[in-house]
Amino acid sequence: MSVPVSQMWTVATYVLKQKLKGRRRYPLVLMLEPLFRCNLACAGCGKIQYPAHILKKHLTVEKCLAAVEECGAPMVSIPGGEPLMYPEIGPLVKELVARRKYVYLCTNAILLEEKLKAGLFEPSKYLSFSVHMDGLKEEHDEAVCRDGVFDAAVKGIREALRRGFRVTTNTTLFDGASAIRMQMFFDEMMELGVEGMMLSPGYNYSKAPDQEHFLRRQKTNELFSKMLSNPKRSWKFNQSPLFLQFLMGKHDFECTPWGNPTYNMFGWQRPCYLLQEGYAASFKELMETTRWESYGHKSGNEKCKDCMVHCGYEPTAVDYAFASWKGLKATVAATVTGKL
Amino acid sequence: MSVDQERSLEGWDPGLVDGPDLAYVIERAFDYRGDVTIVRGDGAELVGYLFNRNADVQEPFVQVFDRDRDELVTLPYAQIRSIRFTGRDTAAGNSYAAWLRSREAAKVTKPASGV
Repeated sequence: MSVPVSQMWTVATYVLKQKLKGRRRYPLVLMLEPLFRCNLACAGCGKIQYPAHILKKHLTVEKCLAAVEECGAPMVSIPGGEPLMYPEIGPLVKELVARRKYVYLCTNAILLEEKLKAGLFEPSKYLSFSVHMDGLKEEHDEAVCRDGVFDAAVKGIREALRRGFRVTTNTTLFDGASAIRMQMFFDEMMELGVEGMMLSPGYNYSKAPDQEHFLRRQKTNELFSKMLSNPKRSWKFNQSPLFLQFLMGKHDFECTPWGNPTYNMFGWQRPCYLLQEGYAASFKELMETTRWESYGHKSGNEKCKDCMVHCGYEPTAVDYAFASWKGLKATVAATVTGKL
Repeated sequence: MSVDQERSLEGWDPGLVDGPDLAYVIERAFDYRGDVTIVRGDGAELVGYLFNRNADVQEPFVQVFDRDRDELVTLPYAQIRSIRFTGRDTAAGNSYAAWLRSREAAKVTKPASGV
């Protein structure tokens, strides 16, 4: 685990407060999508297929901040679209940091070096660039459907690290991924100097250009077991070890779709970051009127059948860690020993 | 009323609809990643992206980003006579397959090193 102690403490106290208040459903990470526009069209992404007039729109900083306040989650992830194409990304991040929110700016890093040199951001323990890296150069460039993106991202990461920023990577895995190549990728990222890595299997977006390479549950378990059964001490993961164990098939978790609520120009997305079954006008309406029982692996919903994605199951893993001594013990053991 | 779920709905004109057919067409429009043209009860047309609908409330409604006026319009189901799928389906086509084909073609045309 590579999450800084102050961040761990913030999350731990937040979760315990929710438990003490008796809140069964609470948000952990707000997924804030200020725009859908992107400078890539990745094979596995179903987030950017909209008419041109929608792609030109973006949220105002005021609307973003109102959503952050309304939600109340201690962490804010800014995906998109490509957030570095959002004209107000500098002011938005500054405001979030001032509110002591832990921000993960999820970027393909094509524009990272340029934006850093323009002085858009200041290093802070609250800000982490979460760079999209789907494997070694060959795998990554194929996943993003453009040659040269891996090299551009590495350049951006180096510049961010040189300037003292926190940098993590986020990796989506698809069917056909090689466990050995992924282990080589982990080595390369750690040598590069990133703080930690985040992994997740991809989701079968119905609008994604590639519909053939999504991992089914059993294959996910096999791949993650092969990759992580004997992890090197040097590998640092910026996520719950229990979530990684879940991906390896060691836990039978259920989805927590409200754990990472999503806000974008359409409103509060039902029921989660991945499915678009409608929008609520307020966070309260989202929480109170969504039929949560219709989602998750055990619901029998076909769209949730193979999903093991971080935005649904990492909140479950975090909640489990604080819900029982068994969960806490397993988290501490994995954190201290590095064994999964 | 039903359409082939696998085919793009681009260009589809289901004609005048009401009742369950209207609800069905609205669901298809909600899932569609292109602009639609909504014909209202008074014959006026609204072109835009239908991003939301709610049939679980007393007065079911759709929400549309008006393409021409850059504003959000909320319209009750009762005011809709027809929906035509007039905009390009941005999720249609297989861009990944096209990328793979162009990549393979580039490999074939590139001379092998050392030759």
